[in-house]
Amino acid sequence: MRITLTRGLFFDLFIALTSGLFFSLIAVVLFAMVTTTSLHEFFHQLRSPVVFSAVWISLQTSFAVVFLTFFFGFPISYLLALNHFKGKAILETLLDFPIVMPPLISGLALLIFLSGDGLAGRILNHWNISLIFTKKGIILAQLFVAAPFFIKTAKESIGAIPKNLLAASATLSASKFFSFRRLILPLSKTGILAGLIMAWARALGEFGATAMVAGCIPRQTETITIAIYMHAMSGNLETSTALALVLMVFSFCSLLVFRAIFKKKRENGYYA
Amino acid sequence: MGITLENISKSFGKHGILKNLSLAVAAGEFHVILGPSGEGKSTLLAIVAGLLPPDEGKIFIAAREVNRVPAQKRGIGFVFQDYALFPHLTSFENIAYGLRTGSLKKKEIRTRVDRYLELVGLADHQNKYPDMLSGGQKQRIALARALATEPRVLLLDEPLSNLDACLQEQLRTDLRMIQQKTGVTTLYVTHNRADATALADRVSILHQGRIERTGSLKDIFREPETQFVAVFLGVTNILNARLSSLNENTAEVCVIHPGLKQNLKIKVKKHPVFHREKEFSLCIHPEKIRLRETPEGENRFLGRIVRIEIDGDTLEVMVDISGIKLKAVMPKTSALPLEKTVWICFEADAPHPVCEGCNRHPDYLRDCRCRIAGK
Repeated sequence: MRITLTRGLFFDLFIALTSGLFFSLIAVVLFAMVTTTSLHEFFHQLRSPVVFSAVWISLQTSFAVVFLTFFFGFPISYLLALNHFKGKAILETLLDFPIVMPPLISGLALLIFLSGDGLAGRILNHWNISLIFTKKGIILAQLFVAAPFFIKTAKESIGAIPKNLLAASATLSASKFFSFRRLILPLSKTGILAGLIMAWARALGEFGATAMVAGCIPRQTETITIAIYMHAMSGNLETSTALALVLMVFSFCSLLVFRAIFKKKRENGYYA
Repeated sequence: MGITLENISKSFGKHGILKNLSLAVAAGEFHVILGPSGEGKSTLLAIVAGLLPPDEGKIFIAAREVNRVPAQKRGIGFVFQDYALFPHLTSFENIAYGLRTGSLKKKEIRTRVDRYLELVGLADHQNKYPDMLSGGQKQRIALARALATEPRVLLLDEPLSNLDACLQEQLRTDLRMIQQKTGVTTLYVTHNRADATALADRVSILHQGRIERTGSLKDIFREPETQFVAVFLGVTNILNARLSSLNENTAEVCVIHPGLKQNLKIKVKKHPVFHREKEFSLCIHPEKIRLRETPEGENRFLGRIVRIEIDGDTLEVMVDISGIKLKAVMPKTSALPLEKTVWICFEADAPHPVCEGCNRHPDYLRDCRCRIAGK
């Protein structure tokens, strides 16, 4: 009896210790970064054109990615969630690739694909379209990396709608589009929103693929993450920290929205 | 607006669910398909609805072949076992859902929904979401939603199975009344005999992917035709017998039973099936058996009372005759104690063959013992 109690106590202690260590690490690291700068210095940095430009480019590209992700990603989610066909497993594996592949490799692959000698590069050159070292390139790189997060989340969400609801809709003379608009969209909207937030956060924090495709041209293709890296490497820690704090605020806000959405979903009680 | 199914077959992988199933439901009829769980009842309904394609066979609704017509255009109403109400819509919107797919104006939709809410007695609950409704209310809304589109046929997939017994009884009454009021051709699948008793104009018994018997429940109960149907419907007192001698109007048969301790011969009214020489099954309805202190009637055997159960106003008494157990029904006033030895008496016209006209039936009725025996 005593041995069992002692074992239980040790187990609880082990859980408390490991949890405490991990959360302390996160808090200390964040605190260390926050304390390297003062509030005055932070606001001063925010007003600098370098920081402003990086934040603006990041916001422009990441929101463009959210827009494109929804319009290209949603039909794919719909297709994969509600249809069974040959080769579906291959498509799902392909979808997982950009998630598991290091972004740097994704960027390299895109660079090769879009370069003048690449598969798409030649065609794009013919039409005088340039994607490398441009904002469009940033969007493409971020889309490549972030879209699968949305597609998978939205697919799970649509797939979670009970099949008999779809069957009921069909027996009520609803066309596929009517079912989509009146049933699938409302019931999966939480998942869609969550997927969009995930894709946005992923696009905002994207570094490897963006750097490979768009380079690091200040005020042209320098996103927040690239600017943090470039300024940190050149010893300008104040600017790096200010940018990092901006990114942290964005991440924190998206986390809050994400949690609020799921809290609402639990309260509503129906699946999405 | 009848439903006709011709030789419907459906398999999932190597597992055959429906095998050459044929069925005809007349316009305006309330037809119940009764069968044990896992026999393909829901699959059959999904095929009629167009939610599943059959592997083979033809489906006719209102004399028109609908095999290639999608569910959206078959003009059916479907009530699901678990209601399948749309959780994000109120009761009103759930019922209006099917009406919004057409070209009805808002005012017409409002009127129609109100009418059907009234019909199912839930006019006060129109603004409630499904998770605010009880099981019975959900099922009524599901029924109103299916009926509101004014379908040609109504399909119900065990709609009462998730409800408690009291609510089931109430909804059965309502369902029958609503069906009679609307006159919609209804196909209802269930494993519950009580549903069939309360609702059906005609019943079809589904077994091993085929319709084994169709008719009014009364007829099926009297002449189950196959041992499966008899056992499934709870017909008791089935005896396997062999013909011993045949007279002009009567026959004497020898009861065959593994636990039988003595030779048991009973006199039976002559039936055509007795011309076959080997085994057949006989059924004696419990109410035709009398338990007496002194022997009487054409058949009388001494037996022992082994169980007495109260069933409403009657007593169900189980008696043991040399290893065979028979059930008799007695008035509640009869005072027969357990373990008492009594005379079990019945007339020659009480036993009747389970499959009187089995020579009319196709080969697949394997449970029909006298058919196999007659080969």
